[in-house]
Amino acid sequence: MVIEQYTITEKYNFPQPTIDTTLPQRFLEQSLYSLKQVQHQPFQLNTQNFQQLNTTEQYPSSLQLKPQPILIKPDRQETLIAAIDTSTIKIGETSTGMIIAIRGAITWRQNRAYKYTRLGPFIFHITEENKNQVYNALERAYFCTSYGGSHQAAPNIMQMPTRLASLLERWLQTMLAKTVNHGVLLFDGSLTSGTIDTPAQRMREILSYARRNNSTVLAFSKATTLRANGILITEQLPNHEPPYLLETTGIHFKPPIILLGDVYVARLNKANFAFRLDIDKEIPIPQRIEAIQKLIGNDLYTQSYPETLRLSHILCTFTANEVLAMKHFITRKHGIQLINRPDMHKLLFGPFGKGEIYA
Amino acid sequence: MKLYKKEGNILQIISFPTESAEKGDYLLVEDQDAGKALIAQVIDVQFAAVPGVLEELLRTLPDGGEPLQGEDIDPMEIAPHITYIQDASLLICKIRATLENEMLSPSSSWLPSRSQSTIKKLSIPMLMKLAKIDGKLPIILGGTKDSSLLTIDASSIDGTLNIITGKKGCGKSHLSKLLMVNLIGYKATVVIFDLNGEYSSLGMTNDGKRNMYYDKIHTLTPSQNFKVALEQLHLNTVMGILVHALHLPGTSAREFRQLWKMLKEKGKLNMHELGEAIRDLNCNQHVRDALASRFHSFVNSGFFTDCLGEATLLDESFLRAKEQGGAIVINLRNTSNIDRQIVVEYVLGKLVDSLSSWKLKAVFLFAEEAHLYLRETYWDDIVTRMRHFGIFTTFITNQPDTIQENIYRQADNIFLFNFTNEHDLDVVSRAARVDAETVRSIARDLPPHHCLTLGKVVRDFPIVARVRALDIKTMGETRLFFSG
Repeated sequence: MVIEQYTITEKYNFPQPTIDTTLPQRFLEQSLYSLKQVQHQPFQLNTQNFQQLNTTEQYPSSLQLKPQPILIKPDRQETLIAAIDTSTIKIGETSTGMIIAIRGAITWRQNRAYKYTRLGPFIFHITEENKNQVYNALERAYFCTSYGGSHQAAPNIMQMPTRLASLLERWLQTMLAKTVNHGVLLFDGSLTSGTIDTPAQRMREILSYARRNNSTVLAFSKATTLRANGILITEQLPNHEPPYLLETTGIHFKPPIILLGDVYVARLNKANFAFRLDIDKEIPIPQRIEAIQKLIGNDLYTQSYPETLRLSHILCTFTANEVLAMKHFITRKHGIQLINRPDMHKLLFGPFGKGEIYA
Repeated sequence: MKLYKKEGNILQIISFPTESAEKGDYLLVEDQDAGKALIAQVIDVQFAAVPGVLEELLRTLPDGGEPLQGEDIDPMEIAPHITYIQDASLLICKIRATLENEMLSPSSSWLPSRSQSTIKKLSIPMLMKLAKIDGKLPIILGGTKDSSLLTIDASSIDGTLNIITGKKGCGKSHLSKLLMVNLIGYKATVVIFDLNGEYSSLGMTNDGKRNMYYDKIHTLTPSQNFKVALEQLHLNTVMGILVHALHLPGTSAREFRQLWKMLKEKGKLNMHELGEAIRDLNCNQHVRDALASRFHSFVNSGFFTDCLGEATLLDESFLRAKEQGGAIVINLRNTSNIDRQIVVEYVLGKLVDSLSSWKLKAVFLFAEEAHLYLRETYWDDIVTRMRHFGIFTTFITNQPDTIQENIYRQADNIFLFNFTNEHDLDVVSRAARVDAETVRSIARDLPPHHCLTLGKVVRDFPIVARVRALDIKTMGETRLFFSG
C-alpha cells in the first residue's frame, strides 16, 4: 500500500553510487498503515524517550586494561568524518497500543563545516495486532536489499520503539558504509552484536562495506558497564597527557553475543572524560590509530566526545516542541482525539506518586 | 485560539499562525454555557512559551558560528506542524467589557471556560454596533485595520476636554483639522489658536480652489486684520492682559484702573489719550514707569488701534460663526511671545464675555502647543470654570509633558498618535480614561497617520484607525533647506 503524495527525496550530500531508499519508503508505508488503524480512537498523552540501552551486555570477569597508553597525534589530512544516530519516543497510548516516533540523523564534517541529513520522523501506531506486520514488513524491506528474504519474530510491544529505531540505524549505517570512501564512520554504541536487534551478520556486512571503501568504523559508547578489577574501564585513567587510547584484553561474551570490534578507552582531550571505543577487529592496528588521529585532526571534541556524533544525537533527539507538533499532526491528519487520562500514581498517592517510571 | 490564563483584567490567549491577531484587535471570548462573552483587546503579541523551542534553536548552532546546514527528509511532512507550534503566539489582551444578552457591562469578574470557550475576532463594525458608537452627527475619523470606517458622533466631543498628542509629523494637526471641519459642518462655532498659521487654508482644497468651508473660515491675524480699539474693550479684559500677560504689579494695576475709568468717563478711551494720561500721571515714579512700559508693549504689539474702522469686532465673527457654523482662526504665526499672550488673553476674555451673556451657546476651542501662550492659571480655568461657560477645549501637542497632569486626569477623549519615548507615554497614561498598558503597548507601534482613539467618543473601547485624508490645502509644513 503506497500513498503517492508521500515521497522520499533521493538526495544526499556526499558521493552516492546507488542509494537504496527501500527502507525509508517501507517505514513511511508502515507508518501510514499503522496510523490508519488508530483513527477515531482516543489516545492518552504519555511522552517517554527510549534509551537504546545494551541490556544484554555483561562484563566479563577476565577483562583487563593495559596500563600503557597508546599516544595519538592529530592528523589534519582532510578526511570525511560521518556519524549516525537514531532516536525514538513514545508519544502516547491508545486502548490497543501506543504511538511512537522514530528519526535518524547523519552528520558529517567536510571542509571545516558540519552538514546533516535527517530522516523522519516516522510515526507508528503499534498494537499487538499490527506489530508483526509492521516489523516484518520493515525487516523484509531490509533483507530484500541485504539478504534476499528472511522472517524475524516481532518483538514484545514495549521493545518495538527501540527495535524499529535499531532497524533504521542499521540501514543508515549500511548506506554510509557503502557510500563513504576513505572516511571515518562514527557509530553510537558498541560493536557488540548477536542480539535480536543487531544480528551479527548484519553488523559484519556493515563493517565489511566500510572496509571495502577504505573507511574505518569507530563506535563510541556514552556509557559502559565494562569493568576491569571491579572498576569501570573509563574511570581508570593513567596520569598521562591526552589524547591517548587504552587497550583492553580478555573480553569474551557468552554466545550468541559476539564482539566485532576491539575495545579501547579513548581520552581525546584534557576534559576529564573518557569513553569506550570499539574499533573494527578486522582493521589493522596502524589503520585504527590513523583513523583516530584523523578523527581528532578533523573533528572537534570539546568534551572528549566527537562533535559529529554529538550533533547526530542532538539532531535526531525529539524536542518537546516536536512532540507537540507530532500530536498536532496526528490529530489533524488522522483525526485521533487526544484525551488525558488521570495518572493513577498521582491519583492514588498524591504528591508521593511520581509516575510509572519511578514506581 | 485558546484561552490560556486570566489575571485580573488581563487575558492570555494562545494563537496559532493561521489565526492572525495584532495589537489593537478585538476578540470575543464566548462561553456559550454561561451565556456570556468577554470583549478583550489585544495589547501585546508575544511568542508562546512552547517547550523545546530553545533546544530547537540551539541545535542549529553547533559551534556558535554559522547555522548548521542540512537537509530534512520529512516524508510525513511533520515540519509544517513544528513550525506551526513554534510560531504560536501569546496574545496579551485587556478585558474591555462583558457581553450578556446583547448588553455591555464593564465587568471582568467572571471566568469563562478555558476548554469550552470559543474565541474569534470581533470586527470593528460589530464592536461599534455593540458599543453603540454611532449617532446622529457622524464624523468619519478614518479606516480601521479591517477596512471598516471608524465613525464617532460629534455630540460625543460636545462638552468634553480632548487631547490630541503624538510625535512630530505623525498627523495631529491633520486630525484636528478633520474634527474642526466636521464640527463646522454641523454648524458649530470653533476657535483655533493657530501657532503656525496652518489652519487659515481650511477653506481651500489641495489645488487651491475654494471648498465648502471657505465662507466659514475667518482668519484673524493680530496687527493685520485683527486689531482692537480700547473703546471696544471691557476693563476686565484689559486688566487680564496687563496682569496676566504683562505681569503688571497690583499697585500699578490699581492706578491703571483709575486711569481707565477717568478716560472712559471723558469719552477719550483711545491709545493716544491713554499714553498722554500715563505720561501726565501724578504718582510714584515706579508706578508711572511700570504703566508706561506696558503701554509701549500695547503700542508695539500693533494689536491696538485708535481707528475704529481698522478695529475688528470679534463679536461679529462670533455671531457669524454662531449662525452658520464657522471657525475663527487666530493666526499667531510671526507673533512674539508677549503679543501672543496679549491676543490670547483678549480672545479668551471676549469668549467668556460672549458665553456668559449667551451671545454664544458654546465654543469648541482648539489650542496648539498651548503652553506657549496659556498662562498657568488658565489650565485649571479651562477644564473647570470655562467648561461650564461652554468652552470645550482640544489641546494639540507633541510635548505631552507640557500639559498639566490634572488636564490628563479630566480629559474625556485622547487621540493618541505614535510615541516612542517612554517618558511621553508615561505622561499620557495618567489620563483617567486610559490604562497604562494599552497606551504603552499600542501607541509605541502606531504607524504614521494612525491614531489610537480613547475615551468617550469610542465608549472606552480604544480603537486604532488610520486618519482619513482631507482635501484641504496643507499649510504649516516645515521649511526645508534642501527642498527643491
